[in-house]
Formats: sequence, structure tokens, C-alpha cells
Amino acid sequence: MSERVLPPGAMPAAGAPRAAGEERRVMTQRSINDDILRLIDRPGPVWIAAFALDLVVLLIGALALRNEVVLGLGVGGWTRPVMWASYITNFVFWVGIAHCGTLVSAILFLFRSHFRRAVYRVAEAMTVFGVLTAGLFPLIHVGRAWFGYWLFPYPSQRQIWPNFRSPLEWDVFAVTTYLTLSSVFFVVGLVPDVAAARDRARNPVLRGLYTLMSFGWTGANGQWRHYYGAYLYFAALCTPLVLSVHSVVSWDFAMSQTAGWHNTIFAPYFVAGAIFSGVAFVINLLIVMRKVFKLEHLVTLDHMEKLSKLVLLTSTIVGYSYLTEFFMAWYGPSNAERDVFLFRYFGHFWWASWTMFTCNVVLPLLLWFKPVRRNMTVLFVLMLFVNVGMWFERFVIIVTSLARPFEPYAWDVNYHISWTELAVTAGAFAWFFMFFLVFVKVLPAFSIAELKETLPAPKRRRP
Amino acid sequence: MSATGAVARAPRGGAHRGVMGVFTYVDDAEAAIRALRADGHRDLSVFSPVPYHELERAQEQRPSAVRWVCLAGGIAGLSGGFTLCIWSVLQWPLVTGGKELVSLPPFVIIGYESMILLGGLFNLLGMLLLARLPQRRSPAPYDPRFTEDRIGVWVPASGDGARRAADALRGHGADEVDIHA
Repeated sequence: MSERVLPPGAMPAAGAPRAAGEERRVMTQRSINDDILRLIDRPGPVWIAAFALDLVVLLIGALALRNEVVLGLGVGGWTRPVMWASYITNFVFWVGIAHCGTLVSAILFLFRSHFRRAVYRVAEAMTVFGVLTAGLFPLIHVGRAWFGYWLFPYPSQRQIWPNFRSPLEWDVFAVTTYLTLSSVFFVVGLVPDVAAARDRARNPVLRGLYTLMSFGWTGANGQWRHYYGAYLYFAALCTPLVLSVHSVVSWDFAMSQTAGWHNTIFAPYFVAGAIFSGVAFVINLLIVMRKVFKLEHLVTLDHMEKLSKLVLLTSTIVGYSYLTEFFMAWYGPSNAERDVFLFRYFGHFWWASWTMFTCNVVLPLLLWFKPVRRNMTVLFVLMLFVNVGMWFERFVIIVTSLARPFEPYAWDVNYHISWTELAVTAGAFAWFFMFFLVFVKVLPAFSIAELKETLPAPKRRRP
Repeated sequence: MSATGAVARAPRGGAHRGVMGVFTYVDDAEAAIRALRADGHRDLSVFSPVPYHELERAQEQRPSAVRWVCLAGGIAGLSGGFTLCIWSVLQWPLVTGGKELVSLPPFVIIGYESMILLGGLFNLLGMLLLARLPQRRSPAPYDPRFTEDRIGVWVPASGDGARRAADALRGHGADEVDIHA
């Protein structure tokens, strides 16, 4: 067996794929700078093609939205009794997607789960862009988006204040707080890495941007001391925040007297679902990024496996919640509740409910098998199914309950998703990916400073 | 030291008087810091690509005071959130089902979210103020290798003091030592 002398503070890249007889790559502090900062480069043809396609889809969504603003919400598929449909589905879906970032960056930071270091920047970026996407939908949904500022409390001549007892107003506070703090957390986390990018940048525009975003960071002891002091408290604040945000979103439903919504289980059920879909989404993004940018030695199979175990865990919580809901409807005193759940799984929208159940409960059972968790192609497809399932979960909760109100004369199954809704939904994905594609090419997509902390400290005298 | 490239970029260094030692090894830098502190140099600046606990201990760093700023923000947010709800509901009475106007349980949500919002924003403000960010001029000559893989120890000194500091840095394994007179 041959011996190698590693440079100070270097280590073989853990879990890096090797051909037989091939040596593992050696990671050093400098190689981490090189590996991550090389992503910030002139866009190649694949990136340009992806970005162009993204803009085309975004344009289609924007045109559909323009159509709806001009012609009215009717073209968006609004019809009695289903007055909340795909737009609120999209809102809850994107807020859910946004939950993974804070889970990975804040909660796993507090629990000292070091595998987060390789993946948290992508997850955080996904959070910020996810909330930016989610925030569009309440504005689209209310119809007159230009009056969106009415949602916020401000002293006006009419002396009208929002109803602070309404869950919809709680949502305004929760989502705006989440957007603000997740953005701050993201930008603060970037500071040392952007300083490293600043020190290498040749493009004057990028160098100016990095100079601005690095706040003059030099890595001095006085900076690190307050930086990590503050980082800990950001994590400590974001942890209860992330749990509260999706709880508040769930109370948009659970606080109303609608059958199928008025359940105490909603808050934990929604939080678990949000983490489930968010982690699945970040796995999809990471699989593509590690392949395209050849970062298998930084984002290893072990990292991906740990994330997929999180998906498996939250899938079991979500599955348990589905079954509990059904059980409580059967066991509880409300005929309307029982009827809604039968309608949900065996009525007009049965296909949506069974798609949800299959994608969120049945297919993730494959993750019990290690070869599945470590096969990136299978994992990618599986995570796509999870996200389809989680979109349908919100669709099922919203549409089936509204189509089956208490008064039987109001029952109707006349809701069909319209082309406008489909285009706006596709446009929302394009909106998200527009930000994400720019992020990958402009900012360090993986944490340089934190990845360096995974290496042993360079010491002349070995401990 | 080849710091000129860095000086051209932000943060710029000003007219500095002192000695800069550049280290590869953490334990060398730690020993140098301990020796310099024992020699009476208390105002050292240490630059590193990641925070090393060894260097923090050598400098006897205390925990950051940012937590008190964060706490102040949290208290302001919590009380501000409740105040906003209670004051506005009394300004614009919206009676629901004949119940009390001041309904504390739903106001907990607003108070809670406001506490987190202001706690976070104060935390940011505290970090920036205490770490003196943003800064246009570095308090010591800056080298881009400090964001890569090198550790810099800056000793503000002049004359004989600077020479003694340079000897101490060299004696503890500094790769490069520059005297800025």
C-alpha cells in the first residue's frame, strides 16, 4: 500500500468517486477556493440556452398574467364554489419549497450536523427565491395586485387597520418576516465567500458587486468573532421562525370552519410536508449541479444520502398525517368531515388524491434501500415525483374541501385548471429558476469558508 | 509581502505602522500570538480564512456582545407587535361575536413574528456595528491570501518594538515577515 504525504491541512475528498486504482482527490483550502470560484465564470452555451428557455417560459407566464389582470380573475379558473385553487396551491407549494433552506442552514447548524456545510448555500438560495416566488401568488390571487400594500398595517387617512385576528394577516407577518430574515441570513452567510471572490475577480463589474457585498471583509479576528456570534443567533431565531411560518400558513386553512381543513394536526403536518418537498427539491438541484460542475468530491454521495434520509423521515410523517386525517374523519362526530374525505379519495378528484398519496407515501418507501439513496438517477426521478405529489397535496386540500362545502346545494365539481393558471404556474417556476441560474453564475454557490472548516487545521506539530 | 494587489481592491489599507507576519500553520501563529501578547502587544489583528479556536484562545477573546443587541431587538419586537395590535384594535374597533376587542391569543402570532423580525434585524445591526462593517480601509495591510489559506498576524509597532516583533514572528515560523515603517 503506497503512502502519500498530504499538504498541511489537506485531506482526501471523502466519498469522491474513484475508478479502480485511482487516487482520491486531495482537498486543500486553496483547492476549495479554486473549485467553487471557478463556477463563477463566463456563461457557457448550456447556461445561456437554459436561461433563454427560462425567459421564454417566464414571458408566457407574464402574458397570461397580463391577460388575467385585464380580463379579470374568471380567466384564472375562478368559479364557485372553488374560489381558492391553483394560485393558493402554488403559494403553499413555494412556501414549502422555501423551508428546506432554513432547515439545512439554521436547524442543522444548531444540531451541529456538519454535512450541511456542503449543501446549505444552495438550499438557502432556494429558500430566498422560493419565498420571492410564493409572495407573488397572494398578490396574483387578490386580483388587484397594485393594492397589495393594503395588507400591511400603516397609518392611513381612513384610520383603517388590518384585522390582526385573521390568519391571513398572520400570514402577512409570517411570510414577510421569513423573506426578510432568510434574505439577511443568506447575505450574511455569503460575506466571507464573496470576499474570497472579490480577491480573485477580474471583471470590474463583478469586483464592484463583491466589494459591496463583502462589506470590506478581511477575515480579521474581530470580524469573525462578531460574525459567528451573530450567525448563531440568526440560526436560533430562524429555527422557530421556520416552524412558525408553515404553521401559520396551515392556519389559513385550519382556522376556518371548512370540512377537511378544520384540524389541529395541520401545523405539524404542513411543516413536515414543507421540509419533505423542500429537501426533495434541493436534492434535484444538487444532483444537477454536482454533475454539471463536476463537484462530486465536494457534494458527495454521503451528503446526498443524508438528505434523502431526511426525505424518508418526513415522508413517513406526511403519510402518518394522511392516515390520521382519514382516521379522525371516520372516528370523529362530523358527517361533513367524513363525507369530504370519502369525496377526496373516491369522488371527482380521486386521481389527484391518489397521485398525492402514491408520490408522497408509496414511492418514497424505496428510500429504505441504500442502493436507491446512492443512485443519483433514481434519486432524481424519485424527488421529481415527490414534488409533483406535494403540489397535488396542496391542490387536493384546497380544491376538494371547497368543492364540498356544508350546504349540499353548493356542491359542484365544475373547477378545471385553466390555461392561464397553467401558464402562470409555469411562469412561477421560470421566475424561480431565473434567480437561481443567475445566482449560480454570480455568487459562490457553495460555502467556501464552511467547507474549509471540514478540513483539519493546518498544523506543523501533529496533535 | 505582496500586498499591493490587495491594496488596490477593497478594503484598502491606509498608512500602517507595524509588522505583518504570514503563517501557514495554525500552531505557529498561535505560539507567535502568545509570545507577542506576553511581550505586551495586546492590540494584535489576526487574519484567517476560517475562524480557528486556537487563535481565539491565544487572544483570550470573549464572546461577542451581539447577543445583547439581539435580545434588545427581540424585546422591542415582542412589545411592539402586541402594542400595534392592541392600539389599532382600540382605534378601529371591530367587534366579532361580541367578544373582547383585545384578544391576546391571536395577537401572540403578531408579537412572536415581530419579535423574530426585530431580533434578527438588530442582530444584523449589532454584528455590523461591533465588527465595524462595512469598512473601506483595513486597520492593517491586507493580503488576498488571507481569504485563501494563509494566516496573517499584524502587530502595530515601530522602531525597536517593530524589530522585536519581527524577530518573534520569524522565530515562531512565519513564512514572511514585513516591517511597515
